[in-house]
Amino acid sequence: MFHWLEKNPFFFAVAVFVVIAYAGIVTILPDFMNSARPVVGTKPYTVLQLAGRHAYIKDSCNACHSQLIRPFKSETDRYGMYSLSGEYAYDRPFLWGSKRTGPDLMRVGNYRTTDWHENHMLDPISVVPGSIMPKYTHMFSNPANIETAYAEAFTIKKVFNVPYDKADMPKLGTYEEATKMALAEAKPIVEDMKSPEVKAAFARGEIKEIVAIIAYLNSLK
Amino acid sequence: MQSSNMINYDYSVAKLFAFATIILGIVGMLIGVIIAFQMAYPELNNLAGEYGTFGRLRPLHTDTVIFGFLVSGIFSTWYYIGQRVLKVSMAESPFLMALGKIHFVLYLLVVVAVVGSLLLGITSSKEYAEFEWPIDIGIVVIWVMWGMSIFGLIGIRREKTLYISVWYYIATFLGVAMLYLFNNMAIPTYFVSGLGDWWHSVSMYAGTNDAMVQWWYGHNAVAFVFTVPIIAMIYYFLPKESGQPIFSYKLSLLSFWGLMFVYLWAGGHHLLYSTVPDWVQTMASIFSIVLILPSWGSAINMLLTMKGEWQQLKDNPLIKFMIMASTFYMFSTLEGPIQAIKSVNALAHFTDWIPGHVHDGTLGWVGFMIIAALLHMAPRMFKRELYSKKLMEAQFWIQTTGIVLYFSSMWIAGITQGMMWRATDQYGNLAYSFIDTVTVLHPYYTIRGIGGLLYLIGFIVFTYNFYKTITAGRELEEEPQSTSPMAA
Amino acid sequence: MNWLNDNVNLLGLLGAAAIIIITVFVVGKYIKQIKNEKSTGELVGEDWDGIGEYKNPLPIGWSLSFIGTMVWVLWYFLIGYPLGGYSQIGEYNEEVAAYNTKFESKWANPDEQTLLGMGEGVFLVQCAPCHGVTGDGINGKAADMSRWGTELAIVDTIVKGSKGMGYPLGDMPAGMLDKESATAVAAYVFEKIAKAGKSKNSDLVATGEALWPTCAACHGQDGKGMSGSSPNISNYGKPEFVVDVLNHGKKGDIGTMPSFNDGRLTDIQKLAVGKYVNSLIE
Ligand code: HEC
Ligand code: HEC
Ligand code: HEC
Ligand code: HEM
Ligand code: HEM
Ligand SMILES: [Ca+2]
Ligand SMILES: [Ca+2]
Ligand SMILES: [Cu+2]
Repeated sequence: MFHWLEKNPFFFAVAVFVVIAYAGIVTILPDFMNSARPVVGTKPYTVLQLAGRHAYIKDSCNACHSQLIRPFKSETDRYGMYSLSGEYAYDRPFLWGSKRTGPDLMRVGNYRTTDWHENHMLDPISVVPGSIMPKYTHMFSNPANIETAYAEAFTIKKVFNVPYDKADMPKLGTYEEATKMALAEAKPIVEDMKSPEVKAAFARGEIKEIVAIIAYLNSLK
Repeated sequence: MQSSNMINYDYSVAKLFAFATIILGIVGMLIGVIIAFQMAYPELNNLAGEYGTFGRLRPLHTDTVIFGFLVSGIFSTWYYIGQRVLKVSMAESPFLMALGKIHFVLYLLVVVAVVGSLLLGITSSKEYAEFEWPIDIGIVVIWVMWGMSIFGLIGIRREKTLYISVWYYIATFLGVAMLYLFNNMAIPTYFVSGLGDWWHSVSMYAGTNDAMVQWWYGHNAVAFVFTVPIIAMIYYFLPKESGQPIFSYKLSLLSFWGLMFVYLWAGGHHLLYSTVPDWVQTMASIFSIVLILPSWGSAINMLLTMKGEWQQLKDNPLIKFMIMASTFYMFSTLEGPIQAIKSVNALAHFTDWIPGHVHDGTLGWVGFMIIAALLHMAPRMFKRELYSKKLMEAQFWIQTTGIVLYFSSMWIAGITQGMMWRATDQYGNLAYSFIDTVTVLHPYYTIRGIGGLLYLIGFIVFTYNFYKTITAGRELEEEPQSTSPMAA
Repeated sequence: MNWLNDNVNLLGLLGAAAIIIITVFVVGKYIKQIKNEKSTGELVGEDWDGIGEYKNPLPIGWSLSFIGTMVWVLWYFLIGYPLGGYSQIGEYNEEVAAYNTKFESKWANPDEQTLLGMGEGVFLVQCAPCHGVTGDGINGKAADMSRWGTELAIVDTIVKGSKGMGYPLGDMPAGMLDKESATAVAAYVFEKIAKAGKSKNSDLVATGEALWPTCAACHGQDGKGMSGSSPNISNYGKPEFVVDVLNHGKKGDIGTMPSFNDGRLTDIQKLAVGKYVNSLIE
């Protein structure tokens, strides 16, 4: 029955392609528009938070941390309200992760604070004895990449109509305005920190990666 | 019709990719061992500054073993098997020869770009699709060249009916092409804004949609990289090495089309209890269970091909590797579906049980099959006897022990972890703080590290054996029909 | 801990066992055939590089299992997780409801011991990452629970001020009294306002009372905080005050203490952890 197909490489390839192609269409497309809609209150990331998100991705925090709270009592007790689809409407890429070597971080902004993150990122076991999370000392010396973060915000505003500069939404503005706003946003974080290196850099107008990543972590609520 | 023995097959490209397979295998597994021990002894994160932390190395491990070790193994075996089952030599087409060589050089360039960029933290974060757009373009070019090579060779074939292995290679080519393209759709930000890093891009999909596309890709990367091409290999190497005909054409046929049809529906099992719609999750669970049979079909076909050949299984280490590979294939394609049942996944997801599942598939099935393939090809490509049977036997047992330590420790770790996350005390409160669930795992992480180290040692023994074969093995006058010649 | 009362745990373990047992059994069956049987059959015409194929039929067991999975699929689809009739959020709500009925009675009138035990559990999960497992504040990184709530801590507060709970009156200024007077006021607050027991400086209570109007300006004559303008310090050092801290959070001089209003802790759990914190005071 199939033997003729095995003698016709062209039709064989077409047949394979058809058989493998349509499952994706059937399962992904129907809810595509629906899943792209934000829930009320969800806002795009500010430039500083985006820069922090990039630092998070650069060091693959998502290799150990999930950002997805499943609807089980054991998870909502530990991490807070279960996740809703619309809460991720501005997450490009999504960062749900697939392994919890460390705890979920979807709502870590609710229960950890700047000073705690500073201690923890510098030396996790100084606050959590037995932790196997690496130290991130280099984040205290590497500068945050505000420019690329702005480039991304600008791109998604333009291409995907992400509502920057709309009422009640984060302002983006020009690159100069955005850098100023990032500095303003970073200020209270730097003030809550102890690291002289970070403070000195900030006095020179430079934002370190650690400041950006804390801004991002604090925004996860 | 010309007999296949009279054709002068050209293995130069197959050899190049065989070397790449071995080198990238060592590198990737070495990094695997390092990250395994980092989870037991976190101080090991500090050895190379920011470049040596777990987060930077983990994607480097997965991508080096998958796109380095595995994919060059796929290419190597294609350039070997393709010619033989189509009864045509690459040497007959200068175009295909040149294409093959450029294919290899470009491949190496992309490997270097991948390693460099991942160490620098240039990644898009999507698992098994970490590379930024410039590298994606390189990968697409490489893939297209491979496609041209496949269809080019098919175009000039003498054997009109495509052998089963060729079906699977074609499917690998098409499947990966489709999945990779869609999952990597992204917009380079520099070209829109004129600012920032030129290599940076932003995903075309957001949130839940991005997750759906990613795991449609991710799961099927498992299908079309870890499974389909490996089946292509076993359908050739096992009957060839044992001299036994395939047990059943019908079983091959049903398994192939069943696998093709069912696999693509199952990606949602990576997203159970997430924010994707309930019906998508249910579909994924269902198709995952159905997937057991097409998967087992191939494995059973292989086991039955060896019916009555106990002697070969005892005497020939290559057959041992392949039968063990089939067994681990069955093991992991039963484990995966069971983990895809919603209530089991509620426990297993996010835990170490998943890396446990991953590695009984990759180490037992993928790793063993590629090793057996290279061992079978060596005497034929280099016209020398395999250097040492004893080393192969030793390697087999060292690596098997390694796999057992790896998956058993991760099963215990994962199930313990999952149960502790859920556990409540007599008052109904969570019983364990998160860190409690981390520190209990220390012994299992250590055992896993040792298991991985054993596997790596076995692989180095294999490398030595391979090296000695091509440099010091006894030269062969005539190509062996079936069983590979080996010195004690 | 009754781990096996949890149906997810139970199914997980059964699944793990099934994987091993079924694989061993099936592979064992084929290994037996490798040992004892002989392969035969009619060959298809082709010969690929010396490889042939038999035209053998499908193995019965395999075919039946294939059909078996289809039956299971129908069950899962129509009964297990009926399409349109199942929602994971609905399942979650049921889980929470079942939990609540189970613990409602236990929590309705908890005795001292229950509260303490419950509080300890909550503390270790939610508070220990900052305050340390023993509540010592990990070398000054967060409040030291053995010192908090003591007379000495009140002295500190008066001397250094207090800030960051977000009360309408804002921050409490530093240096309102010198150390000596502060000690006296602390004794008065401890013994008479908070009624926390006998002060170590009982003899100073009267002096303290004389100075109390400085404080009453904000905290009210009775120390109850003038209906929410400032903290109710008649609760200071008591579980109720901890609850207050949990509801407000505190951005102080040491660092920032998050509030716990995101629904992870119920009122009873807050009170319980307050009780436990209370038990840590020296
Ligand atoms: C090797 C795995 C690993 C990596 C990589 C890792 N972490 Fe962690 N993380 C952990 C573990 C384990 C814990 C739990 C123990 C602890 O609190 O230190 C943790 C805890 C945390 C917490 C505390 C969450 C809570 O609820 O207590 C935060 C925040 C955090 N990590 C952020 C990060 C960030 C940001 C990165 C990347 C820059 C990162 N982690 C990378 C393993 C990791
Ligand atoms: C200007 C108004 C004002 C005056 C005067 C004042 N307090 Fe307060 N007090 C506050 C406010 C506001 C807070 C909450 C501050 C915060 O956000 O932590 C507070 C907090 C406190 C606390 C709780 C500190 C903690 O650890 O949370 C104590 C104890 C206290 N006051 C005692 C006193 C005593 C004793 C005096 C008199 C010497 C006094 N207060 C005078 C306004 C005042
Ligand atoms: C993210 C870290 C963090 C967590 C989690 C945390 N705390 Fe705190 N807590 C702090 C810090 C920092 C302070 C000191 C604030 C200051 O005065 O500067 C503090 C202060 C306190 C105080 C003293 C407030 C006062 O009146 O001065 C109490 C009581 C307290 N915490 C109780 C708790 C309890 C109970 C929990 C858990 C349910 C908890 N904390 C969780 C960081 C934390
Ligand atoms: C019938 C076949 C299979 C099914 C149904 C299946 C199912 C699953 C499931 C349910 C998960 C866990 C998802 C999660 O909870 O995170 C998973 C993960 C995984 N499986 Fe399989 N599996 C199968 C076969 C295989 C094989 C043969 C391999 C490799 C050789 C493999 C490699 C992986 C990998 C790499 C992951 C991890 C993905 C991640 O990064 O999270 N699977 N599989
Ligand atoms: C020496 C052998 C190896 C060791 C010690 C090893 C170790 C590891 C470790 C420690 C992880 C991370 C697990 C975690 O984050 O919890 C990992 C992940 C992974 N490894 Fe390996 N590995 C080895 C070989 C291989 C091989 C040969 C392959 C593929 C052919 C492979 C594929 C993967 C994949 C796909 C993942 C990601 C799993 C996931 O995300 O769930 N590994 N490995
Ligand atoms: Ca993963
Ligand atoms: Ca990409
Ligand atoms: Cu999958």
